Amino acid sequence: MAHFDTEYQRLEASYSDSPPGEENLLMHVPEGAKSQWHHIENLDLFFQRISFCTYVLYKNGFTCMLLGEIFELVQLLFVVGFTVFLANCVDYDILFANKFVNHTDSSKVTLPDAFLPVDVCSARIRENAFVIFVLIISGVFWLHRLVKFIYNVCCYWEIRSFYINALKMTMSELPYATWQEVQARIVEIQKEHQICIHKKELTELDIYHRILRFKNYMVAMVNKSLLPVRFRLPGLGESVFYTRGLKYNFELIFFWGPGSLFENEWSLKSEYKRGGNRLELADKLASRILWIGIANLLLCPVILVWQILYAFFSYTEVIKREPGSLGARCWSLYGRCYLRHFNELDHELMSRLSKGYKPASKYMNCFLSPLLTVVAKNVAFFAGSLLAVLIALTIYDEDVLSVEHVLSSITLLGVCITVCRSFIPDKHMVFCPEQLLRVILAHIHYMPDHWQGNAHRYETRDQFSQLFQYKAVFILEELISPVVTPIILIFCLRRKSLEIIDFFRNFTVEVIGVGDTCSFAQMDIRQHGHPAWMSAGKTEASIYQQAEDGKTELSLMHFAITNPQWQPPQETTHFISQLKERVHREATSDTHPLSLSESEPRSLIANLLVGPSTLTSIHFGGDSSLTNHAAAGSSDGASALRSLSPISSSLHLRGSLSAAHRAPGHTSTMSKAMAGSGTDARTVSSGSSVWEGQLTSLVLSEYASTEMSIHALYMHELHKQQSRGELSRHTWHRQDSDESSDSIPDEVRSEPNPHSRHFPRSHTFPTTVPSPSEGASSHSSSQQRYSGSTTDSFSAGGQVVRSARGVPMGGWAEDGQAAPRHHDTLPEESSEDDMPPHIHKVNAVCV
Amino acid sequence: MNCRSEVLEVTVEARQVEEAMLALLHTILLHRSSGKFHYKKEGTYSIGTVGTLDIDCDFIDFTFVRVSSEELDRVIRKAVSEFKDALSSDGMGQISLEFYQKKKSRWPFSDECIPWEVWSIKVNVVNLANEQERQICREKVGEKLGEKVINVVEVINRHEYLPKMPTQSDVDNVFDTSLKDVQPYLYKITYQITDSLGTSVSTTMRRLIKDTLAL
Repeated sequence: MAHFDTEYQRLEASYSDSPPGEENLLMHVPEGAKSQWHHIENLDLFFQRISFCTYVLYKNGFTCMLLGEIFELVQLLFVVGFTVFLANCVDYDILFANKFVNHTDSSKVTLPDAFLPVDVCSARIRENAFVIFVLIISGVFWLHRLVKFIYNVCCYWEIRSFYINALKMTMSELPYATWQEVQARIVEIQKEHQICIHKKELTELDIYHRILRFKNYMVAMVNKSLLPVRFRLPGLGESVFYTRGLKYNFELIFFWGPGSLFENEWSLKSEYKRGGNRLELADKLASRILWIGIANLLLCPVILVWQILYAFFSYTEVIKREPGSLGARCWSLYGRCYLRHFNELDHELMSRLSKGYKPASKYMNCFLSPLLTVVAKNVAFFAGSLLAVLIALTIYDEDVLSVEHVLSSITLLGVCITVCRSFIPDKHMVFCPEQLLRVILAHIHYMPDHWQGNAHRYETRDQFSQLFQYKAVFILEELISPVVTPIILIFCLRRKSLEIIDFFRNFTVEVIGVGDTCSFAQMDIRQHGHPAWMSAGKTEASIYQQAEDGKTELSLMHFAITNPQWQPPQETTHFISQLKERVHREATSDTHPLSLSESEPRSLIANLLVGPSTLTSIHFGGDSSLTNHAAAGSSDGASALRSLSPISSSLHLRGSLSAAHRAPGHTSTMSKAMAGSGTDARTVSSGSSVWEGQLTSLVLSEYASTEMSIHALYMHELHKQQSRGELSRHTWHRQDSDESSDSIPDEVRSEPNPHSRHFPRSHTFPTTVPSPSEGASSHSSSQQRYSGSTTDSFSAGGQVVRSARGVPMGGWAEDGQAAPRHHDTLPEESSEDDMPPHIHKVNAVCV
Repeated sequence: MNCRSEVLEVTVEARQVEEAMLALLHTILLHRSSGKFHYKKEGTYSIGTVGTLDIDCDFIDFTFVRVSSEELDRVIRKAVSEFKDALSSDGMGQISLEFYQKKKSRWPFSDECIPWEVWSIKVNVVNLANEQERQICREKVGEKLGEKVINVVEVINRHEYLPKMPTQSDVDNVFDTSLKDVQPYLYKITYQITDSLGTSVSTTMRRLIKDTLAL
């Protein structure tokens, strides 16, 4: 055996260490799937459920929820059964004593006598085709509710176990978990479980995007007036028609119906992202809309019955969810879309609108027609005297009641008086629509520009009633919706198919880890900011890309305020902090009534505050500083908070709170910060330790809404002052979206001169109010007039600031020149090919 | 969808389709397979060995590495040859390899399959006129495939979500344990010949039902 001397040698040591054998193989310990919550398939749906459950379970608890749903099911059965019974199985002749029953033992008529025998009854039902039709549909409806109920229970159960196992919540704190807490925990567990597999960390914005993907699109489409919901009817003038049925159809067409624009829940079909064959796609969409419209027309009767059942059924639910809805009015569906911020959850919107309910109905009640009042007063007088006589007679001798129809006439007269009284205004009510509108604005955050200063006008009222309609009108609209919806689909929406295709192409961005979302919902000032809304200089958006009514800016502020942990991108942070600082400075600076400055709207906040607080009857002294008020006001607790008065303390406190919130182990730090900040520590730390965290989060959200109100008012005020100066130079009324939405007028881009920048007035509310001459005068002097007429509720500071601003007159002279120049947009076809696909990939953490 | 998706695109001649597909699918599966798990008591396991094999292509200047498991190879070959037969000589097609996890659900429902990674390979088939072009194509496709393989390896090397190593009871939910000598993650191969437009009826129906049931 030759011995080769090679470089390859046995490694003695390693073999002696581990002799071959099965025991000493490398052993692994499986991590196991400890929880089932890693990697969830449909995150959109999952987050939607969580947010819904959090909201529903909040304070209700699981059992209540279950019982409530079961009772609702029983209720429906009862109502349908009882109605059919009353219609078919009762012999009314016996009940009204028109027919006599021959009883042997007694002369009294008993209830069972009035019932028809079972066989007659069933025969009558069987003969009546309509009843059978209704019964079948209700049966289907009931089964649908039952299946939905069972499905919901499964979902609740799943979410509940998610709360307990993954979010590590205890049973006791489950009913008190607010959405903010749940969200913070979800962000936390993403690091551990990786619910979403694309990213290591999940931001708040990602979660909101997923929950509100389609709603954001709808909000943006309403904002850009793409959806045909406003109509000019010959008799009624401008009116809005937007019902649940219509909304359902829109969603069906755009988002999930057969052949919709979306491939699945998270991505737009790729052919819609390319601009190449937009005309073909528009044709395809138009024919789809036509078919869906025809289907709607054919199914009309079924939908009608279904709608009635649904209305009945959802009514109880609505009352449960929003206490404000018990009144005579409600926020219309269109209003909800118009007033909604981007990335605002249902419950956030609801609580905001509910807070605005009272001032809104007050405002609407300001406008009672004097003619009607006179008539109502007199009718009430006559009816009242008749009633009084009848009642007096009855008291004298109750046999009067047994005279035929006396009881019914007493009831009728009573009803008549009640109705009349609602038309007679409260004697003690002060007519101050401007301030009321301002309080409303503090809650609803959006209003078209031309309302300001025109609050007393009937036009403004009518437009506001489009947002805030009578519930009777709402129900009526719902009932005629099955007939009107197909007409709108076929004749109005179909015409807009090209615009819709363009909209989806231009305003869809793909965000890693989220999928395709509406680019407006990114709340990027640079892309969608409006120069008239504080993002001048920062925005690069063309008019087509700008969100109307300051939607981008207000939404951004709202989102940043409700989610203090959210870390926006650099520029956005800059914008937010700049604005906050300005508001803060206004709030804390010693706003002397006579301090003036031309450039900066100083003492703005003072104006803002004096308006609402006088209404909510919190007394303000003459010229002492705001901080003093704040200290005094905050002792009033929550009510004072709501009335916006303790602004500086709320801003201070909130600052320290959100700072503490960012720190790890926030609950303890937060309560310390609260205690340190003094003013409101009493209300917070008085609770027991269990309640403390709960209470802090409640107080926090209360502060957040107050802060947002202040910011909204500030931004509107600034916008008004900013645009008034420029509007008087250039007024451009954008009447319809068709003129500018398709192609971008390039003169807008190329004009660097700030004075010739155009300020389209509110897009969603095309102005119909002022005639040219009147409009100009109202721009310049209406503010003075009205602050003058309501001097008692306005501070001196407000008047001085407003009247001191030199507003150039005669703006309307240029009106005529500006408008036509603007309408010559690029021809549609020529721009087709060089239109770049506007789909941007957002690679980093979303903007 | 909550899953990663990677797209690879290749342009090949009709006779190269099978080999090109095999090369790419096998490359991905090589990195997504492990040895058989042998569970011990105390909740630990050891991993068996996996052999590899170099495969030379006949119609492409290319050699790829695959797991030396005949069973796995048979399954893949079957899927690829079906795809090749369905593909016309001058057309487009897409074959996708989807890795998924099973989630056990309660009795009335079937198990959910949740994909976590999808590889789609888009194939463009071309016809070539003469032998010289074929020769060039042979080299070029080889180069392209080499690039794609590096591409695949780069993607796989990224530190991204993978299902966690399962305990003995869950192993069927993560890995395909039907093969004797190798244990890839659960996978599914599907193919599609043309870009069929429009949402299929089944997804619409599913969405319709989900929507009516939604909260």
